[in-house]
Amino acid sequence: MREYFENITKELFKNIKSNELLIINFDAEESKFVRLNKGKIRQAGSVKQISMTLSLSTKDKRNLKSYVRLNGSFERDISTLIKTLNYLRRELPDLPKDPYMMFSTSVHSTEISSEKQSTSDEVILEHILNSATKLDLVGIFSSGSIYTGLANSLGQKNWHEDYSFSFDYSIYNKNNNAIKLNYSSKKWNKEDYDFILNKGIEKLAILSNPEKKITTGEYRVYLEPSALNEIIDMMAWGGFSYKSNKIGTSPLHLLNKKERKLNELISIDENIKDGLSANFNSDGFIKPEEISMIKKGEFRESLTSPRSSLEYSVVHNAASPSEYPCSIDMRAGSISDDKILETIDKGIYISNLWYLNFSDRNNGRMTGLTRFGCFLVENGKLTAPINTMRFDDSVYSMLGDNLIGLTSSRELLIDSGTYEERSTSSARLPGAIVNNFKMTL
Amino acid sequence: MKNEFINQINSYLPNVDYCSFRFVSKYTNVLSVTRNVLEPIEIIEDEGLMVTVIHNGGYGYSATSDLTREGILKATEEAKNWSAFTKGNLIHQPTPPADIINNGKYFTHEQDTWAKESNKDKVDYLYEINKALKSKPTISNWGASFRYNKIETLFTDTNGSKFRQNISYILPQLIACAEYKKEIQTRTYGGHAHARQIGYNFIKDSNLIDTATSIANDAIELSMAPNCPSKKCDALIAPDQMILQIHESIGHPLELDRILGDERNYAGSSFVNLDMFGKYKYGSEKLNISFNPEQESELASYNFDDDGTPAQKKYLIQNGLLKKPIGSFYSAQRAEQDYVACSRATSWNRPPIDRMGNINMEPGDTPLSEMIAAIEDGILLETNNSWSIDDYRNKFQFGCEKGTIIKDGEMRGVVKNPNYRGITKDFWHNLAMVGDESSYSILGTANCGKGEPNQTIFVGHATPSCLFKDIDVFGGE
Repeated sequence: MREYFENITKELFKNIKSNELLIINFDAEESKFVRLNKGKIRQAGSVKQISMTLSLSTKDKRNLKSYVRLNGSFERDISTLIKTLNYLRRELPDLPKDPYMMFSTSVHSTEISSEKQSTSDEVILEHILNSATKLDLVGIFSSGSIYTGLANSLGQKNWHEDYSFSFDYSIYNKNNNAIKLNYSSKKWNKEDYDFILNKGIEKLAILSNPEKKITTGEYRVYLEPSALNEIIDMMAWGGFSYKSNKIGTSPLHLLNKKERKLNELISIDENIKDGLSANFNSDGFIKPEEISMIKKGEFRESLTSPRSSLEYSVVHNAASPSEYPCSIDMRAGSISDDKILETIDKGIYISNLWYLNFSDRNNGRMTGLTRFGCFLVENGKLTAPINTMRFDDSVYSMLGDNLIGLTSSRELLIDSGTYEERSTSSARLPGAIVNNFKMTL
Repeated sequence: MKNEFINQINSYLPNVDYCSFRFVSKYTNVLSVTRNVLEPIEIIEDEGLMVTVIHNGGYGYSATSDLTREGILKATEEAKNWSAFTKGNLIHQPTPPADIINNGKYFTHEQDTWAKESNKDKVDYLYEINKALKSKPTISNWGASFRYNKIETLFTDTNGSKFRQNISYILPQLIACAEYKKEIQTRTYGGHAHARQIGYNFIKDSNLIDTATSIANDAIELSMAPNCPSKKCDALIAPDQMILQIHESIGHPLELDRILGDERNYAGSSFVNLDMFGKYKYGSEKLNISFNPEQESELASYNFDDDGTPAQKKYLIQNGLLKKPIGSFYSAQRAEQDYVACSRATSWNRPPIDRMGNINMEPGDTPLSEMIAAIEDGILLETNNSWSIDDYRNKFQFGCEKGTIIKDGEMRGVVKNPNYRGITKDFWHNLAMVGDESSYSILGTANCGKGEPNQTIFVGHATPSCLFKDIDVFGGE
């Protein structure tokens, strides 16, 4: 794939005129997807896809780009791409100048590649299927290489190649209660897989106790890292974006304006260094290794794209055009795992939250539902599964005055999303114990 | 050209129990002007092929953007290998269709084609709309865009079926945000609701300058308005919120693959089970819901689904009684139910699954003015901006951009952050009045997410305004 990328970009740059700049963004993946239901295969297949986005600019600040799907064959693709380039060249003069156009002019080439693991997908899948024979297991196994590249006509080249697999699944009992599990890595280890599954089976046993129906009201809750991640993910719907905070569509705009504060325990970084995403953006800028977005409950730095930097005359930090984080890193607290239940004493243990959305975006208030493995805690012990409950609460309460503490251990959650292509986003975060968590339905 | 291509790939079909080739070519063009500046124009050209093999008790697929002979043959081998691997491990051994489609066709009717106007003319119109949106100083953010999508599908299989479908749709999107004392309120047009299979004339006929002025004024009024009160009252739900209500609490729970458990790890299950079809009262007598791929210009109209099943209108709920699931040919085999042509994939690179097509609320007989007049204490809810429902599609909470208080049959001023919540099983029984043809609107949303691997797809919903009793409404902070 690398050789194909090198050859095709080299040929394209031969066709660039002196007043033009061409940026080429390359994306490819060779993925396998096996979907399971009730421990059996529902659908299984492979996807191979290659695409390039050609972004042609002229010195008078006109720009046009086009995304093209490719075959992977040099002869056939170069002819398609030259046609695309000529189309962009023809259309450019009719377009207005783009006052916010900005691209990297300092050449900074990078390369990150990881080797594919030796265990075949067939061996992994056989093990998974064998482990699921007596389980009601449902989910998806995805694996394969993801390639991201950038080259520009100034001579910059960036390459990011990564192999990984993800098995995102849940196991159900006869009462339709479930535990959600995930095993994602770059190298398969069947002992690790068995360990995660067996822990899940142990937890599922508690779900077999008769369900206790809880009513609306305020509860002390523990949010596992995956549940807290859903709340952080909602905050990221514009919350860390410079532009969204500027125009006021950010759910954190009051935090940004220092009108509100979060609890001092809350510190959140964008940590590219330890994440899985490429360290360059589509304009060729190299991302900082870490950006402190919230520190000790106060807003520090937004994710600022090159376009925003020109629109608002500020310095950018190579954020993507969406200004959305891709590698959340939240500081840990001091509650050890063995003290979680004791600290809750009486309340609810929430493994996952689901389908969050805003009920008052202006004030950071959101709603969502409990899902997968949520338990009543009585006298510091998990006693019974609970019915599905809806919460509706403000981030300034949940992660503000009502935050009791964060756990000292953290989990790395690799996004198993596969819209259009396999995601490379991740989040590393602790669990949280929250008081007066509002259940409304 | 297309006929040549389909004939060419037809010769690559392997000698197996069943194989289909589904070629998809997608073209997307998005023009956006935000705060009076043209954003980078999006042009996306995407094409590839999905090979599906059913052989000797196995099933597999392989999708490739390599459309050379070698690429297609390699993908076919991979699909055969998956089919061999899955033999004996499948949750259901699919039986392929026996019917043959002879050169089937479907084309969206575009009165004016997208290419009829130049990019420059379209951008100039977007500048004009921006000007109307930024009508007052308190408008803090504004923008407008036009999205055009064209999806061509060529299908051929070892049964000898062949069809070609060209679906194109247009989505105008307008946004205006107003700020008053650090309170920011947003009004939109288009985004979640107004996608149609229609020509560029739709843009011209939609009177977007007036719409821009209207939503900007709404945003300003809302930024100064009180919060929606918390109470139980009548809710008159406008079509651009009704589509979300239908989508989340009827469309998704009736998807047969959810009922069969396929989505339990991701998009969720359903409170509906197989025993309920033909017996369960889903709502009041006034509730009539159809799967209708035949509705002219609606977003998900087509003649064939992605498995090649011929599409026709069928009732899912009639006079409140649950009749049929949204289940495809293959899902129906698993559940021994009747099927609808709902097997759809987002593109060539994802396998088809059970999807909503056009899921429509059939119009009733009450004019909008009569519904308003019948309300003693209620609220008019317009334009969805928040959606959340549990994984069994029961406990929902939806938010709207604009609420208008109705007292004794009269509109009495707007309220901000109108939200409402309820439980699906109860909610549809509170349907008291269904609007007539005059409020019936053909709408659609372009981004419905589901499936593993994940897929977004466009779905249509046509509906009139509807009146519900005893709804739990509330506001923001």
